[in-house]
Order: sequence, then C-alpha cells, then structure tokens
Amino acid sequence: MLLIHCPYCEDTLPELEFAYAGEAHIVRPQDPSALSDEEWRDFLFIRTNVKGVHAERWRHVNGCGRFFNALRDTVSDRFVTTYKAGEARPEPETLEAAE
Amino acid sequence: MTDYRVAGRGRVDHGKPVKFTFDGKTVTGRAGDTVASALLANGQHLMGRGFKYHRPRGVVTAGSEEPNALVGITRGNGRFEPNTRATMQEIYSGLTAESQNKWPSLAFDVGAINDRLYMMFSAGFYYKTFMWPRSFWDSVYEPFIRKAAGLGKAPTEVDPDQYASRFLHCDVLVVGSGPSGLAAALTAGRAGADVVIVDEHSEMGGTLLSEPQAVIDGLPAWEWLAGAVAELDAMSNVRRMTRTTAIGYYHQNMIGMVERITDHLAMLPENAPRERMWRVRAGEVVLAQGAIERPLVFHGNDTPGVMLSGAAQTFLNRFGVLVGKRPAVLTSHDSAWHSAFDMAEAGAKVAAIIDTRDVVDAALHDRAASLGIEVLTGHTATATRGRLRITSVRVNPVRSGTVGAGRWIDCDALLACGGWTPSLHLFSHTKGSLHWDAEAQVYLPGRKSEAVQIAGAGRGLWGIGAALDDGATAGAAALRSLGKSASAPSYKVSGDRIGTGVFHKELPTDRSPGRAKAFVDFQNDVTAKDLRLAVREGMKSIEHVKRYTTNGMATDQGKLSNMNGLTIAADALGKEAPQVGLTTFRPPYTPTTFGAFCGYHKGAQFEVTRKTPIDGWAETHGAVFEPVALWRRAWYFPKSGEDMHKAVARECKATRQSLGIFDASTLGKIEVSGPDAVEFMNRMYTNPWTKLGVGRCRYGLLLGEDGFIRDDGVIGRMREDLFHVTTTTGGAARVLNMMEDYLQTEWPDLKVWLTSTTEEWATIALNGPNARKLLAPFVEGADISAEAMPHMSVVECTVAGFPSRLFRISFTGELGFEINVPARHGRALWEKLWEAGRQYDICPYGTETMHVLRAEKGFIIVGQDTDGTITPQDAGLDWAIGKAKPDFVGKRSLARPDLVAPNRKQLVGLLTEDPKTVLIEGAQIVDDPNQPKPMKMIGHVTSSYWSEALGRSVAMAVIEGGHGRMNGTIHVPQAEGKPIRATVTTTQFYDPKGERLLVE
Amino acid sequence: MNAHVSSLGDAALSLLPPVARFNLRIAPADLAAAAKAFGVDLPTRIGQGVHQGARSAWCLGPDEWLLHAPEAEQAAIVAAFDAIRPSAAHSLTVISDREVTYGLSGARATELLTTGCPIDLRRIAVGDAKRTVFDSAQVVLLRDGSQDWRLEVWRSFAPHVEALLTTAQHELAAGF
Repeated sequence: MLLIHCPYCEDTLPELEFAYAGEAHIVRPQDPSALSDEEWRDFLFIRTNVKGVHAERWRHVNGCGRFFNALRDTVSDRFVTTYKAGEARPEPETLEAAE
Repeated sequence: MTDYRVAGRGRVDHGKPVKFTFDGKTVTGRAGDTVASALLANGQHLMGRGFKYHRPRGVVTAGSEEPNALVGITRGNGRFEPNTRATMQEIYSGLTAESQNKWPSLAFDVGAINDRLYMMFSAGFYYKTFMWPRSFWDSVYEPFIRKAAGLGKAPTEVDPDQYASRFLHCDVLVVGSGPSGLAAALTAGRAGADVVIVDEHSEMGGTLLSEPQAVIDGLPAWEWLAGAVAELDAMSNVRRMTRTTAIGYYHQNMIGMVERITDHLAMLPENAPRERMWRVRAGEVVLAQGAIERPLVFHGNDTPGVMLSGAAQTFLNRFGVLVGKRPAVLTSHDSAWHSAFDMAEAGAKVAAIIDTRDVVDAALHDRAASLGIEVLTGHTATATRGRLRITSVRVNPVRSGTVGAGRWIDCDALLACGGWTPSLHLFSHTKGSLHWDAEAQVYLPGRKSEAVQIAGAGRGLWGIGAALDDGATAGAAALRSLGKSASAPSYKVSGDRIGTGVFHKELPTDRSPGRAKAFVDFQNDVTAKDLRLAVREGMKSIEHVKRYTTNGMATDQGKLSNMNGLTIAADALGKEAPQVGLTTFRPPYTPTTFGAFCGYHKGAQFEVTRKTPIDGWAETHGAVFEPVALWRRAWYFPKSGEDMHKAVARECKATRQSLGIFDASTLGKIEVSGPDAVEFMNRMYTNPWTKLGVGRCRYGLLLGEDGFIRDDGVIGRMREDLFHVTTTTGGAARVLNMMEDYLQTEWPDLKVWLTSTTEEWATIALNGPNARKLLAPFVEGADISAEAMPHMSVVECTVAGFPSRLFRISFTGELGFEINVPARHGRALWEKLWEAGRQYDICPYGTETMHVLRAEKGFIIVGQDTDGTITPQDAGLDWAIGKAKPDFVGKRSLARPDLVAPNRKQLVGLLTEDPKTVLIEGAQIVDDPNQPKPMKMIGHVTSSYWSEALGRSVAMAVIEGGHGRMNGTIHVPQAEGKPIRATVTTTQFYDPKGERLLVE
Repeated sequence: MNAHVSSLGDAALSLLPPVARFNLRIAPADLAAAAKAFGVDLPTRIGQGVHQGARSAWCLGPDEWLLHAPEAEQAAIVAAFDAIRPSAAHSLTVISDREVTYGLSGARATELLTTGCPIDLRRIAVGDAKRTVFDSAQVVLLRDGSQDWRLEVWRSFAPHVEALLTTAQHELAAGF
C-alpha cells in the first residue's frame, strides 16, 4: 500500500484515503463544438500509457477532498512528486534540485 | 513406541507431560513441544504421504519451511485446518492431529500405487498423460485428477472463529529474533526508537535456541537471551511479538504480519480472535530472517528419517529429542558435523559422518575421532533403505569424479546438509535486486528499493558473533536513516560455530540417473530427473522449468527446493546459475488463512450494509429486502401466504387505487450552492436551468463526456443560488465525485460548492389519488393544493411538526409527494403517516412495485434500461436536452459519427402477443426466429413485469433502430420452446396523457 | 441521552447526543466574514481545530470547515450566515442528521481505533480533526484528548462501524 503526499494537506498518508482519477493535464477544450471529430476523439479516449514517469490525477477523497496531480513511475509504482491541480507539470530538473 | 526424549535437554518442560492424539492414537509430549518434536520423541518420523506418489514422508525441518510434515488439526465446532506444519503447531492437552494424503492409513496407503507408476507422472505429466483418448476425459481422467488434486482436506463447516486486524506504525520493524534481530532491536530500542520485533516461533532466540553452547559477553547463550528478552520487555518503546509471521513486504515499508493468538491454547478464551492481521508501516525495516538449510539431492532422499542436520540439532537442543539413536550424517558443510557431535554427546551412537568434500577442517576430524565417530570424506550417497523409516544408507567413494563401489551403513536417521541459503523472501517482495556471489554460490541482497537493512545470515554471514555485531550495526544504520543516532555495541562470543561448505547439484551416483528418485521439491514431488527432462523438452528459462515441473510451486514456495532446482537446471542448460535466473518469491511467506485476510469482515460485517432510518419499520412489518449498492432496501412487503408476484400485484393496485407509501431515503442528494450554481447546473446537466423558477423542479439528465447517460434525478431550485439535486441510489457517490472533478479541475473559477445531504434527509414518497388528502393535514407553512403546488414543485414547510423539504413529484404516474425530513425524524413521520393513512388503506410498497409502476409509465432506470452505451436520443429523452445551450458535459459527443449513425439500439416498449407471457429481463431479441444459428441478435429486454393495472405484461427493450419499428414484430428466442412474439410500442403503457397527476 | 453503547475495560464507546453540525464552504479570502457569523476564529491549517465556548470549528479542506454548536443554536447560526451571503458567497449546509457521533475514551481508546484506521493516529494533535477512513467507512476523527476521541460517521454506516468497534473492544477487554 502506497503512501501519497497530498499537496493540499501537506501530509503523506495511506493510499486508502485516495482514489485514482486518470491521466493528468488533459484539459477540457473551451469550446468543444469547435473541435473536429478526430480532435474530440483524441480528447476523450487517447491516453499516453507510458512505461516510466506518468502524470496522473488523484483525489484525496477520504481526506480534504481535493483532486491533485502526481508524477508516478509506472514501473516501480512510486510517486515521484505530487502537485496541486492547475499547476504545471514539474520539469525533471526542478525535481532533482528539490531533492 | 521407543522413547527418544533426552532428560535435561531442551527448553520443554520435562515435568509437564501433555497428551494429544495423532491419527487417533494418544501421544505424550512435553509442554513446549511441537507436534513434530513430540512425535519424534516417541520415535515416529513418518508424518505424511507425498503429493503425487504417496510415498511415506517424514519430517525434514524444524520450522515453517517444512514441506512434508503437514497435518490436519481439528478443534471441534467446525474448527479444522489442513496443511498445518507439524513443526510449527505447538501441542496442548487434547490437540487432535491427523496425517494427510493417505488411505486407509498412514503406514499402508493404497495411493502409493502411483509410486509404481512413476514414469506416468514425470515432468509435464499434466500436459501429456491425460491427452488421449479424448473420451477418457470425463470418465477417467477428470475424476482421477479431482481425487488426486490438492493437499489435505478442505474444511466442510463454517469457521466459527473470529479474526482481527490492526494497523501499526513504528520507527523500526525487526523481522526475526535470532542473534542479529535481537541485537538490532536492542540497539534501536536503547536509542529510544519505536521498535517492533517479530518472530514466527513461540519464543524468541532463533539460532540461539539451538546453540546453547555459545557464550555471549560471558553469559551462556540462553542466559544472555533471557536477559535480552527481559530488557526488550522493559522498554515501553519496544513491542515484542512472537507467533507472528511477516507474510509480505509491500510498498513503502508496509509489512503484513499474521499473529497466531489461540492455536496453541487448550482452552479458547472468550472473545479471543484466532489470528490477527497486522498492517505495519515502519520507518525502517531490519530483515533478520537467517538462512535456510539446503537438502542434498540423491536417490531415496525422501525416506522418513532423512532430515536436515540443523533440524536434528534444533530437536535435540530446543526440544530435548534425539531424532535417532544411530544417526548418520551426510554433508557438504561443516555445520552438520556439530549436529553429529551434539547428538553423540547426548547419547546417540553416530554411525558415520559422510562428507562429500575431500578436505575438511582438522579440528572437526579431531573432535569426531575423540567421540569415536567414523568419518568418510570424499563420499557420496547413492541410495537409502527402509520404507516407513530409514534403515541404512548406501555410500560410495568419489575419486577424480568416478564413483566407486557402494557400501551400506545402518542408521535410523540420516542428517543431511547441503549448505545454507540466505532467506531473502521478504526482500524479494520489495523487488530489491539479488546479487549472485559466485564464490559463496548464493544470492545475496543487492540494490535496495525500500528503507531496509538486511542483517546476519540473511546476507551470508555465518556464526552467532558475526550475526550479533551485524544486527547491532543494522539497528544503528536504521536509526541513522531516520535521522536519529545510536551506537552499535560489539559482542564477544565464544563457542561459536563458524564453518564453510560447498553446494551440489544431484550427488554423483554409480546407478542410472534415469531411474533415480532424487527429490528436489518434496511437497510437489519433483525430482532431479524431472528438471533435466524439462530442459531436454525445451524449457530454457527457470520460470518455464518451474511451471513445467511445478518445482517450488507448492505451499512452501520452494524454500528448500528453489536453489537446488536452479543448480540442476543451470547444469542441464550448461549455464551459470545467475544466467538462468531465479524465480520470484511472492507473498505470503508462509500459507495464510483466509480468516486472517478477512479479519472482521464476516457474517453481518462481511461488508457494509447501509440501512435507512425507516429500515427498522420495514423489518418489523415483514419486508423482504434486496441489496442496492451498499444499501439494503425493502423489496416488497408480503402478507401471509403471498409470494412476490402476489404481493407486488397487491401493492401496485393499492397505490394506483388509493395510496402507497415508499421509503426513498437512499436516493442520493447533493446541495449545489453558490452564486454560480445555475451556471454549474447548466454545464453539468443536459437540461436548461436558467429559467427554472425557485420552488420548481425539473427532471435532470447527466451524461458522461462521451455522451452516454450516467445518471438522472429530479432537481429542485430552493433559492436562486441553491439546488437540491437528487441522484440514483447507486450513483450518489459517483455523481458527486464527477461534479467535484469538473468543479475543481475544469471550472475552478465558478463560485459554487457541493455538499452531500443523502443522509441528512429521510425521504418518504406518498403516491396515489389520496396522497394529498393524507398529507395536507400534517403540513404547516405551505399550501399544497393543486393550484398552489403544481406537479414538479418544491416547498419548505413543516410536516407533522418536522422541518421539511416537500416535493410534489411522481415516479409512478400517480399524484405524488416526496417528503424530506431530517433523518432522525424519518421513522416518526413514517409512523404518523402510516397511522393516519389507514383510512385510505395505505399500503407500504418496496422497490419491486416502484419498478413496475415506473415501467408502466415508461420511466427509465439508469443502469437497468441503460448500460453505459445509451444516449439521450437512444432512450427517447431528446426533450431533456437544452438545445440552445452552447455546451454541457457530453454535448459534443452527441454529434460524434457513431452516436448519430442510423440503426443504433433504441429504447422501446414491447407487448407480447400473449398478454400473460412475461419476458425474461436480459433476453435477446431477433428479427427472424427461423434463421440458422447463430442468430443475429438485434437487442435485448431491459425491463419486464406483470402490470396489474393493465392486466397484461409490459416490457422495455433496446433494439436496433427501435424508434423506427413501431408496431413491428420481433421475436424473443427461448432456451426451450417456441420463440415469443412481441410488438414494438412506445414505452408509455399507462395513462400516456398524464391525466392521473391532475387529482384535485 | 448520552447512551452508552458499552463501557468495557480500558476503552469505552458511546453514542453521543446530537449537535448542530454544519458543513461550511467558503473561499479563504472571505473567511473573516464567516468567522464573524459563527463567532469563532476559523482555523486555516487543514486538520486544525478552534474551540470557543460551546462552538467548535475544524478545517477539513482548503475551503471546507466542520462546525459544531449546541442544537438550540442551529437556527440562529443559519440566520447569521444567511445575513452575510450577499457580501460573502459561501455554502452553509446543515448536516446535523447526516452523521452520528461516537465517543471513544479510556486508556486504550486510541488502540481501539487502530483496528480500522490506517493513519498514524499519534500525528493528530489534541483539539484537531482528520477526515479519513475507518474500515470501509469515511469518518471524521476529532481528538479531544490523548485518549479521548469523537468519531463522526454517516448515519447508515454507523451500525457497521459500531459493530466493528464493539467486537474489537471485547477483544481488548479479553486481553488480546
């Protein structure tokens, strides 16, 4: 069972308090009707499915209730970092600097 | 039986005899014995039968790695556990143990015929033996496999025991309480850290329990041990747990541990759980699991009496039992020599020490000579004699790779030692890498992926002194990682047994290897020959060899067999062991009961059963319940003699004719509140909300972004900036989560907040022509007349004095009200309405009647009439779409090519040709019943009921191009009998104009 | 009223009488207005509790507070928040009946909670709160003392939670 750092609670807590919520940084288009069928299809269904560091969303559903983003290594399952919804995906350099 | 007990030896209480039964015979042991040690004390090695060949088997080890001595333990009242390790089960007065895999008796077993059919069961026999003739499968092979499969008997009764669970957080968890574990715990504990130390045995000490000769810091080992245990117990920051197995090492230092609480007790204390699952989160873990002795592989190495030398030493020194009075020792490692010496000193006549090595330490030779023990170096063993117990072993000299003439040596036990394997099972669970030490020929821990220290024999160190120092160092290292400091003491140990050895593949033999029964995996009956055959038949990877032969796949997970299997497979492949690889160890470390995993989740607590405030009334009034999501809901209220059909017909009729009362409390409710509430509603739901007046309600339809229906419900506008949203019972949590998702991540600029009020309100639905007549006298603060309160409106008032949100809505087509009151008042209000309703023959109804009444009106149930592929158009709900709205969740998808394609499955009504026929829900629909099979299916029945109001059956279905098939005929093929003909109709079967709502 | 479910050994479990309970949602920028309406300085760190007189407030999320007050004050509090709505947008939802509250006390009360709570309870300070899970139910834990807790759980989950706690309580009392 993983430990997950909630960027809102600023606390690291058991996975049982959290729920996975799909890939991160897939922004709903401002005007969906302006999108072609192919563009809309990509928004709906096309995901990266990376082996390695994956940007994904989690919700601290049994805690503060917030959705947030995380970088997680899909090979080791480990969280690399978590950050608030709306924040940019951290660059690898800033991650190393933070360590 | 002969007595093999050695007075004055061991840690058992010689003054306390304990009687138990084994296969019905009374056996006397001593307090502190295991089943295995007590049987050995009575001269019995035979404890089980092999899995495939039913060969007699004796105990091999003294610990949890035991592959052979598996017994069934019965404690009465349905308590039965198969496959309990006799080496781990402590005896108590009245214990009932039985051997397994035998019939009619352990000593004479008919199944041993399989031993004669040896060739039939070679590697991969599953894939070969039963292939032909095909007709034999049902009549011969399957019954045979079913009878033969499995180990032990499954319990037949419900387990009456309680099981517990607990979460625990600590700084340092030490797994294993041998010298390294104890030293680690002492070091960390003295520094003030929160320490947990666990051991699977009944007492702590590990190796120290088997090596009393050692002297630690001037104290005999057992005195030092008693002091260490007392010191740990005196520290309030240390938790010491025995009979507790660390079964799995999971992410981020989460360790699963099972504590056995009552299995060693003669009397079961009241309220005591049998086992407890601990979920421990440790800052640092110290693995001090020691090493496991490796068997030697030679023909006849499974004869009862052949056992590991370290086990013999443990039985003698810990339990005071000689495993034989004339033991022989067969070894490739120094450690077995000490076992021989200990046994000789305890009075055994050691027949010989047979060492495969040519050169052995002179000190060992001297000691053997002084004890009068014959020593044969450079020898191999090629056979054993004795069926139920070994009587002799055949040994041959090996000179320059040539096996010389054999000679039989009489013995009543053969202590074999093929070296020691560091126990790295838990470390492997972490996906930490293993490093092959070519010199030592063992795998050692390599790169770590967790905050873990490995100490002692687990990382290849040998001897008590080295283990103690290493454990102390590991304890200090763990604390340093946690940012604390600790000093690691150094220990002075004398009498330590430091030794070396070599590892072998099968021992060399002068006989045909093809006929050898040289076992590698005792529990799954896999021989060296099987492994070589697997390689010959093309298995290149150790993972394939493992699965083809089942080596290491028994309940012991190859604790004894994996390394021997790897060595032999590598030899057959002509590769080095690390090139062949190692199979993966997975949790649990030892077999674990289902009870331990279930914990408290049994009986009424198997899972959460949510009950409404009115549930108790329904139960008192004879309701039959059905599960809906986690809720239990009243399904129908049968009167005496009524079946479901009759009860539902009566409830339907009573509601349509006069008045029905229904508990709708499980409906999801969400408060959508804030200045941007209406904008939020416009974006989430398909419907337009801007013009909905305060005090009015609207049916709301929620789609996923993919355009498919997700949920629906009636939504009331309580204030300009406040909506009372209802959802389906099962959808409540999902809808709230979806709303929060959009609000938090897509539209964080909206000033609106969501709060679940599902459980704040109890909801009572009144339906029927007399609903208003019953309700009106209870209402204060609102006028609920038809003029003042039209259909689809909501008002805040009091009902029977309780504050209420009162909706005029209808899911039945009758005049209807839904009264929401604070949950604590739900039952009181229900009872008041029930009392007053008698004048109208008020009828409580359940979910089944609710389903029938709504189906008669053609109202859908999301999840029953929709399945995640149904659009609003498919369901005939185009009218619920706000066409003028620029956007809402799912709108863009409604224009996707597949969603506007012709011939989509659409929701329609069905009327069977014979009105008495009620279709089966889920039944498939075809156009032409005479077409050849497989027929083209064009849809399926989603809802189907007997309609009392219409005096006939009604059904709903999704059918390809259904809306264009009105009045057409379709067919519903049956498993038996003729297909049923039905006519496609609209879904509004009853009162299509809605006139029944207009009751004055 | 304070109906004892059971008082056994070192861990007592009781169903506490109802309180006026609210879920307050408001932008942190408007918090001062809410504090004034409630009459309590509202905490700003998630988990933190503030207690003034008979009223308490705990911060459960970035814009979420749990408020407790005596039952008799419920209507007045609703009115006070209604009054600030035009100037300080917020959501105040009465949830007095949504949850029920259990009290846990005694030398082993914290240990009793470890039968179902995966979090490290030592990290919740006295006076603070934490929304988390107990077994499969979402709960809010309020820590009143080192061995004094309140557990708030949605009404329909309460029988399940209570049954588990009672079983575990007997286990503790029996010495296991």
